[in-house]
Amino acid sequence: MTMEISNRLGLANVKSDYIHAAGRKLEDIHEQLLELEAKGEVKVIHIKDENKAIEADTLFGWKKKIPTNKIWHHKSCGQCGNIPGYPVSLLWFMNQMGLEYVDERNQTSCTAWNYHGSATSNPVGLAAVAVRNWHRAYELGLFPLFHCATTFGDYKEMRNMLVEYKELRDEVRRIMHKIGRELVIPEYIVHYSEWVHVMRFEIAKLKKYDLSNIIATVHPACHTYKMIPEDCIYDKDIYAGKRTAVSTGVALALGAQVADYSTWYDCCGFGFRHILTEREASRSFVMDRKIRPMVREAHSDVCITQDTGCTTTLDKNQWIGKAMGYTEQVPVMADVMFAALACGADVFKIVQLQWHTTDWRPLCEKMGIDWKKSEEEYNAYLEELKAGGKTVNLYEYPKS
Amino acid sequence: MEYDENGVSIVPSEFKKEIFEEARKDFRYEEYVRGCLNCGVCTGGCPPHRFFDFSPRIVLQKMKSKDPELIWTMMDEYIWACFQCFTCAMICPFLNSPGGIIAVLREIAVRRGFESAKKVLKPYSRVLLKLTAYGNQLSPDMIQPDFFPDWGPTIGYASTDLAVKRKAIPMPTLQVTNLAWDVAPEAMKELYEIFDEAGVFKIIESVDPSLYEIIQDIVDDVRSS
Repeated sequence: MTMEISNRLGLANVKSDYIHAAGRKLEDIHEQLLELEAKGEVKVIHIKDENKAIEADTLFGWKKKIPTNKIWHHKSCGQCGNIPGYPVSLLWFMNQMGLEYVDERNQTSCTAWNYHGSATSNPVGLAAVAVRNWHRAYELGLFPLFHCATTFGDYKEMRNMLVEYKELRDEVRRIMHKIGRELVIPEYIVHYSEWVHVMRFEIAKLKKYDLSNIIATVHPACHTYKMIPEDCIYDKDIYAGKRTAVSTGVALALGAQVADYSTWYDCCGFGFRHILTEREASRSFVMDRKIRPMVREAHSDVCITQDTGCTTTLDKNQWIGKAMGYTEQVPVMADVMFAALACGADVFKIVQLQWHTTDWRPLCEKMGIDWKKSEEEYNAYLEELKAGGKTVNLYEYPKS
Repeated sequence: MEYDENGVSIVPSEFKKEIFEEARKDFRYEEYVRGCLNCGVCTGGCPPHRFFDFSPRIVLQKMKSKDPELIWTMMDEYIWACFQCFTCAMICPFLNSPGGIIAVLREIAVRRGFESAKKVLKPYSRVLLKLTAYGNQLSPDMIQPDFFPDWGPTIGYASTDLAVKRKAIPMPTLQVTNLAWDVAPEAMKELYEIFDEAGVFKIIESVDPSLYEIIQDIVDDVRSS
């Protein structure tokens, strides 16, 4: 086994010719799904040539096809409600690359944040909501791309349950018929961070700023790589294939230094219910287990996330830490937002950092971005809109 | 309900057995509760274990004991400490899922309207209302300084001139203030049908009857529109 270690800050860009395939073996659900399709039990949303898929390795070395084109955007409640620059940055990249997609109103929440917080649903409810949204992509002839890590984790779980349990399939099929839909399952459940990962070298071609002096720390989302871990991207050139590669991959491709820290595997403290109803637990976790190690051990300039709840929890809970003597602060943003900043997207109109709580201006200044000019232009734009001006959109959804 | 001399409710053994049987009959039980080596790696990696009297190893061991009395001891606040991050499930050498079996126990607690579940979920009602009535669960107008004072002085940004700031987001689906995105009524109606058929509305009625009434009024309005 050969290994190449060139990163002075940790393991992020350690390369290895050893593929992480040891350990427990599970059955490949993808094969079972195709068998069910052959029996006429389910319909499958297949990857087509027009989806321009790029293949990636998962935990056990299985191949996963990531569609890059003809996408149906499955939005995230928390991103759209609270971190709007998250989906906007993703659409901005797709526009830059001339890719086709649909962003529309005919979509519901996956309802999984609520389930993991309150348990006020059940497998039939969760699976039926999943199939309902999958079917909407299917009838438009598009492949669904899931923005939220909890949606990604939940939909992987629901896909597995639907494949493994006939009774669940029968019940969900019955409900789908009641609402005029069919039981369909995507060939692959794909998270936006996987799209960003496989497109990282195309993204890097758009880079406008030198990031070689930026130290990033990555917070991987639990529901990306701990829920159905076998269906998550690993790359032998990133962390030597020993940790999930998404988010770290794009930061490295853009030339940032990705530093290791001792609590990489810890969650963010979101807790689904705790972030709203037991906030002292969330904020203690944020400061003690994530932000302080990132700053003290890695001198991090930016915390890179890949999920909705993590971004909110890590960003919003730093200010209150000062009351208890926690002086460490680090701006928090998703991989796609950091990439958009690096590629010249407008700080206010596209990346929308004005909604974030922890100060991100020092990061922009270190990257060489003139955020003050962006703020002036944004404020002028708001005045135009107040006076009845027209919004400049990245996309116009079909009017029904 | 019977009470002892200290006013503590006495739960009959038969009822505790019924709860255990309900969990054991769940189709996920065998997948989530397998052999346990008692190695404790799940608890060592468990985030809430650092802040609460909570251990996924204990959850697994109690489930493995098949003792209804022991399992009953987890049905109050204990199961609600879990963050549902599934660190335990990822690192368990035996493929157990303590987080998964906790979800099953929580479902029983809300389905049966346990007082502990009602108490824990009371502050969560805003989210439940948004999600079940409108189809997504976090709206821009929920981020108010009086509700999130611990998020710092800049949190007020989100509550001033919100309509024009949302209009300036270059995705038309996001240009609303009362929902995360502007959910189409046909999508909401399909969601209601799913909630009816899967028994989700019934669950909410058992855990919060007043909230259920409010949700049903909104559902009726949307359905008749």
